[in-house]
Parts: sequence; C-alpha cells; structure tokens
Amino acid sequence: MALAHRARRRLPISAPTGVGFFAMRRSAHRTHLAGLLALLAACGGGERGATTRAPLPPARRIVSLSPAVTELLYALGAGDRVVGRTTWCDYPPAVRAVPSVGDGLSPNLEAIVARRPDLVVLYRSALNETAAQRLRALGLATAVLPQDRLEDLAAAARVLGRLTGRSAAGDSIAQSLAALVAAPAPDLGVRLAFIVWDNPPMVIGGASYLDQLATLAGARNVFHDLGTSSAVVSIETIAARDPDVLVTLVDSGAPRLPAFAARREWQALRAVRERRLVMLTGSLFGRPSPRAAAAVAELRRQLEGGEGATR
Amino acid sequence: MRWLGLGLAAVLALGLALVLGPTPVPWAALGSSDIVRELRLPRALLAFLVGGGLGLAGAALQALVRNPLADPFLLGLSGGAGLGAVLAIATHLSGPWTLPLAAFAGALAAMALVYRLGLAGGAELDPRALILGGVAVGAFAGAVTTAIVSLASAVELRNALLWLWGGFSGSSWDGVLVVCLYFPVPLVVLLAAARPLDLLALGEEPARYLGADVARVRRRVYVAASLLTAAAVAVSGVIGFVGLIVPHAMRALWGHQHRVLLPAAFLGGGILLTLADTVARVVVAPRELPVGIVTALVGVPVFALLMRRWTAS
Repeated sequence: MALAHRARRRLPISAPTGVGFFAMRRSAHRTHLAGLLALLAACGGGERGATTRAPLPPARRIVSLSPAVTELLYALGAGDRVVGRTTWCDYPPAVRAVPSVGDGLSPNLEAIVARRPDLVVLYRSALNETAAQRLRALGLATAVLPQDRLEDLAAAARVLGRLTGRSAAGDSIAQSLAALVAAPAPDLGVRLAFIVWDNPPMVIGGASYLDQLATLAGARNVFHDLGTSSAVVSIETIAARDPDVLVTLVDSGAPRLPAFAARREWQALRAVRERRLVMLTGSLFGRPSPRAAAAVAELRRQLEGGEGATR
Repeated sequence: MRWLGLGLAAVLALGLALVLGPTPVPWAALGSSDIVRELRLPRALLAFLVGGGLGLAGAALQALVRNPLADPFLLGLSGGAGLGAVLAIATHLSGPWTLPLAAFAGALAAMALVYRLGLAGGAELDPRALILGGVAVGAFAGAVTTAIVSLASAVELRNALLWLWGGFSGSSWDGVLVVCLYFPVPLVVLLAAARPLDLLALGEEPARYLGADVARVRRRVYVAASLLTAAAVAVSGVIGFVGLIVPHAMRALWGHQHRVLLPAAFLGGGILLTLADTVARVVVAPRELPVGIVTALVGVPVFALLMRRWTAS
C-alpha cells in the first residue's frame, strides 16, 4: 500500500487540499538545482552550508526512503546507484537485492549512514523533515520531495534527474506524467468509492493520489469532496452516496474478495449486493509512480469490465 | 418518578439515534428505510447495551475494589484485548469475526492472569492485589502490542488499533444478537450481588459480621464484570470514560444503595453512549468522530455540574 497514504495518515491532522496544493505548486516552481542547493545550504547551517559547490557532481550512492522515489530512480536509469531502500520498495524486482534501511516512516539514521550515501531522498512529512535536518547535520545531502499527486512526482522526476546527472531522462518522465494528467480518459459515468479499511470504514478523499487515478481513468470518486487523503465515515454515508463500484487495495497475491463483502451491515450498499467490487494491487496503485499510465489503463479496463459483466 | 425520568431519557436517546444521521431520512420513510432498519437501529441498540454494560461493570468494580478510580478497563482488560486483536492480524488470521473474537480472547486471558495475581495472598481475592495486578498486566500487554506494531508495521495493524479505540461503525444485527445472548448471565449475577456489595461498602470486617461471604462475592463480581467488559470490547473496542463517570453520576443522583444504583448505572451508561454515538455520527458528517471523544466531551460537563451539586449539599 501507499507509503504516501500511510505516512500521511500517521499525522494527527492531514493538511487540507488547499494547503497541500499551494505548497506543491510552490515547490514545482523551484525544481531547479539552485533552489534545492539554497535549501540545503539554508538548513545545513553554519560553515558547511556556506561551501556550496556550484555544479554538484551527480549522486553516486543514493538511499531512497520511499517506494515512489525508488521507482523513479530506476526509471531514470540510476537504479544501480540505489544503495538503500525501504521495506516497502518492491518495484522493479531488482531492487529487492538492495539492503533495506527500515520502513522509512521514522527513518533509522544509523542504518542510513551505514550505507555511506551521498544523497538521501525522503518523502515530505513532518517526521521526515526532522530526520532530514539531522541527516544534514551529519553532513549528508538530502532531498525532501512531496509525492502525493502525479504533479508532485513530475516535479520529483526533474529534481532527481538533475541530482543524478540525467536531466534529459528526468524531463522526459516529467513530461509524460504531465501529459497523462492533462488528458483524462473520457468519462465512463462510473461513480466509485475506495474502501481502504472496513471497521471503522475508511474511504479515500479528494487529496489522495487514488482520487486522481479515478478521475484520470474516467470515473468519479464519490468522496472527492473530502479535503483529506482519507477519512473515517459511516456505512450509512457510503450507502447514501451510493457508489456504483467499490474499490479496495490488496497487498499482493491473488485478489480476494474483501471480508466486509460477506458482512450483513455492508449489504446496505448496492455495490456490495451487486458484487461490484474491484480489487487493485497496492504496489501498482497504492503510490504515484512512473507506471501511473499503466495504473490508469488497468483501472479503466477493470471498470469497463465490471460494467460489461452487470449488463 | 426518577425511574420514569430515566426511562424517558432512554427512549428519547434511542429515538434520536434512529431519527438523526448523516443522511436525512424523511419522517414518513423512517419505518421502511433500509438505512434505519439495517444500520441505525442495530447501532443504537448496540451502543445502548454496551454503554449499559460498561456503566454497570464500572459501578460493581468500584464497590468491589473500594476505589473511586476503578473503571472496567483498570484491571488490564483493554491491554489484553488490544494484544489479542494485534496478534490475530500479525498472524494473518482473517474473517469477518476475527478481530472481535481475538479481542475477546485477549481480554479473557488478561482477566484470568489478573485473577491469579489477585489471589496472591492466599485463597481470597485481595482488592489491592487485583488493582496492582491489573495495572501490571495492562502495561505488559501494551508493551507487547507496541512491539508487534512497530516491528511488523503493516497497515492493517494500525487500523486494528483504530478499531480498538472504540466505535460502533461496524454494528450489525449479528452483534446485537451476540450481546443479547451473552449479557443476561453476567447482568443477573451483578444485579443479584447488590446487597452483598452494600455490605462490602461498610468494610470487609463488618460485611463478614453481617453474614456476607466476602470471598465468594468478590470472585463472582470480578468475573461477571470482566465478562461484561470483554464482550463490550469485542463488539465495540475500548470505549473509556462511561464506566468511570456514569457510576459516580448515578451515585450522586440516586445514593449508594446498589439495588438502585446498579440498574440506574446500566440505564445511564446506555443513555450516555447512545447520545454520544449519535453526536459522533452527525456532528462532522460526512465524516465520523471516535465515540470515546464524544463521551468525554458530553460527559465531563455533565459530571462537573453533578459534582458541584454533590459538594454543595
């Protein structure tokens, strides 16, 4: 499942969309290296920060603390420079040979330093900002990148492209992601809800990447109006919004019907009674990744298939 | 008269729970609505029964250990329930009833352990040993739970804890049925212990002189109250505060006679939790608040008022 979602939900208060978007837009504008270096210098503090080398040599030993960044690095052709990953990094399969430095949520500094990296890339969250500060105090270069939406990922691709000396590849990934975001598939007329947990029922809101995926695949998330990435709601509320399809994420392996589909109280939902349930694998769908186009296509295929089956 | 008032309040609370919800149901459709019949009604009943069970268990335990701070979860049950739930998920047991059953088993295991520790002094249950044993077992179970969660770090584990914090989102008629079959025995045992509990309130020695079999009363009350609490955890997680505050409030209103106090605590707990759950469902709709937060927000001001009256008189 998505590191992004997990990390975000750990925060006591999720940032409202407005704030998130604002911050994202701002960071998208200063994706160039100069901005990043200025940031590093500002946070590095004191003498170390002042020694800003003008053209930074490409990073050679990178610790990635998020699955999305790991995927990006491989897509950039810099996979051989990844020397540390999180336990969640499972794509591409080659990355499993790289030592894990923990779950990346409250980073294990000692494990990271032991990999002797020259760049540590973190997902932007309150916990990780603190960890990044401490890493910088230890003399390590860090990049803290928001990775909540595809726009964030495009910006991250550019930054990582520059930091690894593969700007062209980074720009091309960013462009293809931007193109994907700019051209949603034609509307299927399907209204869906993502059920990420059943008791208490937890759904995906408008700030989440999954909500964006649904839009791009030509469907509508009935909880798009919730400003957070996920929220606890009552079954009654889901029933009242009456989604055509329920979507769940499964970790891996054979997709199984979710347990709640068999429970009596969930039969109040039309989508459960009609068994219109779509199961997606967390690795492909749970996080924004360079494979987003494939995720959108697969979701659309499943939604169209579901439509056909019930007609 | 007071019984009438309490009864009316209970009917009102249940009625509000049926009428109010995140989605408006027109008056005329209340009787035929699926949402009311399959979701609101079982949820309201379950909240009432669980609240009542917690209130009653709290009143009985406070008398048993003769400590105003006693509540149904003081004696390690919440810790045991949490450990059970987390273990079930960490070992990949699945099924619609896994979490409740595992929490129930965990609570029973904690109860058995605390009971054994409570016998430390010999053949009789020692209230002080019960409290200390309960706190110790709870802390130990909590530590093991945290260790599992931080090591395994699967999403499901964190969500299991979310469930454990308590709530009625998952209520169904199945849950109501289970509670209705299960509650009567411990309820009757506790209500029947009203007079011995009165005697016990005078102190252990006087109670003995007045003919109470102190050891037996303690054993029965402890086991029955724990069984009630374990069932409450199984259907709704750990909902704090009801079992602590309701007995005190009812004592302020109704006096210390357990024959009156125990049923009043049942009704009071049911009313408080039903109202709190309604607020939890409605106030931030379409989202939902954890019901434990609402019980505290609603209950504390009421309790403060009662305390003022209580200390003034």
